[in-house]
Amino acid sequence: MAEEVSRIGKKETKVINYKSCFDVIGPIMIGPSSSHTAGAIMIGRVANLLFQGKPKRAIVKYYESFAQTHKGHGTDYAIASGILGFSAADERVPHALKIAKEEGIAIEFIEIPGDSPVYHANTACITLQDDEHEVHITGISIGGGTIEIKYIEIEGFAIEPQGQLPMLLVLTGNSHVKSYMEDFLIGHHIKITTITRYQNEENRYLFVYDLDSPLSDELRAEIVAMGDPSRLIVL
Amino acid sequence: MYLSIEAFIQEAEKTGKRLSDLMIEQEMVQSQMSYEEIWQLMELNLETMEAAVKAATEGEGVFSPTGLTGGDAIKLKKYREGGKTLSGDRMLQGVQSALGTNEVNAAMGVICATPTAGASGTLPGVLFSIKDSLDLSREEMIRFLFTAGLFGLVVANNAMIAGAVGGCQAEVGSASAMAAAAAVEVAGGTPRQSADAFGTALGNLLGLVCDPVAGLVEIPCVKRNAIGAGNALIAADMALAGIENKIPADEVVEAMRQIGVSMPRELRETGIGGLAGSETGKRMKKEIFGE
Repeated sequence: MAEEVSRIGKKETKVINYKSCFDVIGPIMIGPSSSHTAGAIMIGRVANLLFQGKPKRAIVKYYESFAQTHKGHGTDYAIASGILGFSAADERVPHALKIAKEEGIAIEFIEIPGDSPVYHANTACITLQDDEHEVHITGISIGGGTIEIKYIEIEGFAIEPQGQLPMLLVLTGNSHVKSYMEDFLIGHHIKITTITRYQNEENRYLFVYDLDSPLSDELRAEIVAMGDPSRLIVL
Repeated sequence: MYLSIEAFIQEAEKTGKRLSDLMIEQEMVQSQMSYEEIWQLMELNLETMEAAVKAATEGEGVFSPTGLTGGDAIKLKKYREGGKTLSGDRMLQGVQSALGTNEVNAAMGVICATPTAGASGTLPGVLFSIKDSLDLSREEMIRFLFTAGLFGLVVANNAMIAGAVGGCQAEVGSASAMAAAAAVEVAGGTPRQSADAFGTALGNLLGLVCDPVAGLVEIPCVKRNAIGAGNALIAADMALAGIENKIPADEVVEAMRQIGVSMPRELRETGIGGLAGSETGKRMKKEIFGE
């Protein structure tokens, strides 16, 4: 029931996923499909950013159109490219599966029959693991290389973010970081759509900032440099 | 941010600004980047488009790894050189660039998605056709891309641009409509005429299904970009002639969305129905991927 309500709720609010003209004129990329290749690279990249390092194993579950056409569309090497941290126009993209193998990353692709858990035709769920830790994400590729992230599991937090990127995640034991980061973003003219606060039993916090402005590479680097990279993650 | 076509047409009419100016202004506010930075990024997109067309129309052309597509832009180039065409040379020049770009895409070359990779040939097809017929400057070509972007953003945020969500009407249909609107601006038409061209072009491609053979972005995708480019040129010419589109552009976008959500899954990029489901389409899939 809760799911139903949130879905209806979503329909009523206007969701602005495409914020820049370069979302529809661009990206510059290696094909063949912006949603199945460039978008899949982005989903893989988000998993990579959250994992912070080289995983030993990756499990990729595909739903609906992704499940039906991932082979033809190059989605497998695209996801692998993202996990390896490649950009959409990187010439290594078509060879990413081989490169991942050479790097010692075992990737398994699974086609799941039936509906996507988040009601979208292009859905991929990725688990990245090594012997110490693991992250889970669910991403949807909505076209033209743009994605939404619908589910994230990291360091004991399991969250369902609004989905639109950019998104800033702050993992901390200090609750004052929330307003500090807010002031920092506003100071840099970055519009914040929502801030969500999560707290676990060990008094650890996860703050999620949904941002309305694209972040320049410089500002991304500046934010990440402000703390331990595994605590400040810009998606 | 402009959330409807009507909103920015009215703004353009009120201020006398070009649609491309409105797009650049919005981008500056959203991204906090300077005019020059934004302009350079768009120029890079243009250069990527030019390089793809060049690669596809030199030598033997480009071919996809599966061998299903490739070499058709070269065939059309040779045919044009014969001097006798049915559609006219400029039209076919657009088709040649459209085919070529998508051949590069299918061959895993570098392209600029406009708005998607599957529909990446339509916009350059139109742009490179009118570049010669209107003798466009570099500045006008870049403006063309900004105007196309403004219309594309409205479609992407109000309906969809992914074939898996709304069929090929959302990909080639959107690309064709974006190109038609942009062509009108650089040809000297009014913002209202841009909206008419947009509405006409998208309206003409409503219902277009997404049925990639073997799930590959090859058949029918490469050729569909040809119809997208041709349709855009025709729609732009009609609008410039003063032919209005009686259904407002925003309502055409909404109609496209409605059709997209009610389209059966088999016809939305699953590679199951349509041409993918034809006997030959199924045989090709088996030959490429096995059982």
